[in-house]
Amino acid sequence: MKFREYEAKQIFRESGIPVPNSVLITSADEAKPALDKVSDKVVLKAQVDVGGRGKAGGILPATAENIADVARDLFAKTIKGLPVEKILVEEALEISHEYYLSITIDRAKKMPLILFSSEGGVEIETLAKERPEALRRVYVDPSFVTLPDFIVRNVIGTAPKEIGKIVRDLFAVFRSKDAVLAEINPLVMTPKGILAADGKIILDDNSLARQGISENRDLTPREAEAEKHGFSYVELDGNIGVIGNGAGLTMATLDIISHYHGKAANFLDVGGGAASDRVMYAVRLVASMPGVKVIVVNLLGGITRCDEVAKGIIEAGVSQPVIVRIAGTNEEEGRRLLQACGYVMSDTMDQAIRAAVEVIQ
Amino acid sequence: MIYAGKNTGILVQGATGSQGKFHINLMNAYAKQVGGTGVVAGMTPGKAGQDVFGVPVYNSVVDALDEYEIGASVIFVPASGCGDAIMEAADARIPTIVTITEHVPVHDIMRAVAYAGSRGSRVIGPNCPGMLVPDECKLGIIPANLCKKGDVGVISRSGTLTYQVISELTSAGFGQSGIIGIGGDAVIGQTFAEVVDEFHADGRTKTVVLIGEVGGSLEIEGARRALDLGMPIVSYIAGVSAPKEKRMGHAGAIVEGGEGDAGSKIERLRALDIPVATRPSEIPDLIRGL
Repeated sequence: MKFREYEAKQIFRESGIPVPNSVLITSADEAKPALDKVSDKVVLKAQVDVGGRGKAGGILPATAENIADVARDLFAKTIKGLPVEKILVEEALEISHEYYLSITIDRAKKMPLILFSSEGGVEIETLAKERPEALRRVYVDPSFVTLPDFIVRNVIGTAPKEIGKIVRDLFAVFRSKDAVLAEINPLVMTPKGILAADGKIILDDNSLARQGISENRDLTPREAEAEKHGFSYVELDGNIGVIGNGAGLTMATLDIISHYHGKAANFLDVGGGAASDRVMYAVRLVASMPGVKVIVVNLLGGITRCDEVAKGIIEAGVSQPVIVRIAGTNEEEGRRLLQACGYVMSDTMDQAIRAAVEVIQ
Repeated sequence: MIYAGKNTGILVQGATGSQGKFHINLMNAYAKQVGGTGVVAGMTPGKAGQDVFGVPVYNSVVDALDEYEIGASVIFVPASGCGDAIMEAADARIPTIVTITEHVPVHDIMRAVAYAGSRGSRVIGPNCPGMLVPDECKLGIIPANLCKKGDVGVISRSGTLTYQVISELTSAGFGQSGIIGIGGDAVIGQTFAEVVDEFHADGRTKTVVLIGEVGGSLEIEGARRALDLGMPIVSYIAGVSAPKEKRMGHAGAIVEGGEGDAGSKIERLRALDIPVATRPSEIPDLIRGL
């Protein structure tokens, strides 16, 4: 789950990373009083979950004279389709140099990776491609609770020493928040010292519970509903409802639907070990999406038991045809239950998907 | 021997939970069928003295090790305690630690995998179906009825897609030398490349089937290793129709910053002259064509 800039900066502030003065507002009336608390020159930054906010008109300068109007205009905008509901009123900075700093997880090395550049303020992907030598890459042993000095030195090189403390503090944020990304871009040099001018923190979705977050707000309402039941669910724009178990098999099901020129309406992975009531919810959820004309259930039992799946499908009792392909653990019992209730059974994945595409045509 | 063999004594951590119980029974049914050792001990803190289908349960890994020779552990512990369970097994120097649990926090896995490495243990998973060597041993939840002994080595990030591919292989007459589910998370223990090494060292594998999906670039690293070792390889990558920036069920299955999408991964594999199936059912034909 992504934290927005104002939340990331709140976490930075609590962790000792210097940030510009700012106040969060939710209406244009709060703009002028906010400015009075912050500085005589400010920038208004729309708090929406998209990249490239600046270019999309989501970051605007303002002064005491015009801030009410600027704030009113910004609240009326949508930035890349998202309404502006919160604005960060932040002091305008006198920037003499920009740096880039981030900590992420390197999948191949299975380690945290710190990236630092003295040439900030540019797209980091572009810098990595065009001037890879300008990007310092330092790996961290996953068992380190705090960063040893040599790592900090390797990260910052000849950059100002005070950045070292920020690297250390950002690593503490990365660890304590179960982050998959903690980024400061740009980290800026100003007459007041070095400040995090922007911040981004993405949490590991598997750690939300222990971070005290009950709901992943990156999800659409139906996706959130699906997650409550422990499903992974993604909405697409076709008319074939798809239920599978396991991300790979469910993705392969989508790919084969495309192969037979059909279009999937959605994707629901019931996950491992689904009991009958969860399968029932899954079938109903997929069927409830407008436009779903047929449902393919493609399940291979490992930790999931086919008899439980069969019971769930039968209990769901949805109006659309449900084409079932199940195999694996307790397969015979599952097939027997479904056959007794007259469900269309397919022996192979290809066959089931072809049958579903035929229903549409 | 690929990670474990017929004579490997298996410990199950999280033995008294419903999944633990169910799969101890299935693992031992398979061990009985093939004349292997199977699960010799279970472990759940606070549940010592119980037994699961005749398998004694201990409070700790070291207690179980006092009584039995154990070469591998299979973990069914809930996500919040999973990193701890891996470290407990590694601390006791169990060489192979198969982790079935899904939704494990990624920081826990990084730490546990690194710790296991420092103790000389290898972690398979998490979020994986485990492994099965036909006629030798089953560690995890791969349905044994789909498998047949042979010389195709299967390595996969997705559990159920693995089952799909095994059933395609078996019904086309291709038996397997080993099936290793490496897991669908962003950080996993054994990677494609490491499993390729294992198959190579074992010497019984003639062809490697590499089953991947969107996200990361472990597939390419694994394919390169197989080529370096001169092992023929075919592959399948799921998620060609996956929308960008959406997490497709697996924590590891997300297209990040335009890299690791299925299409570009397939292109990179084909550029290495590796046959890539567009559907799992095409895999047997690709093997015949090697």
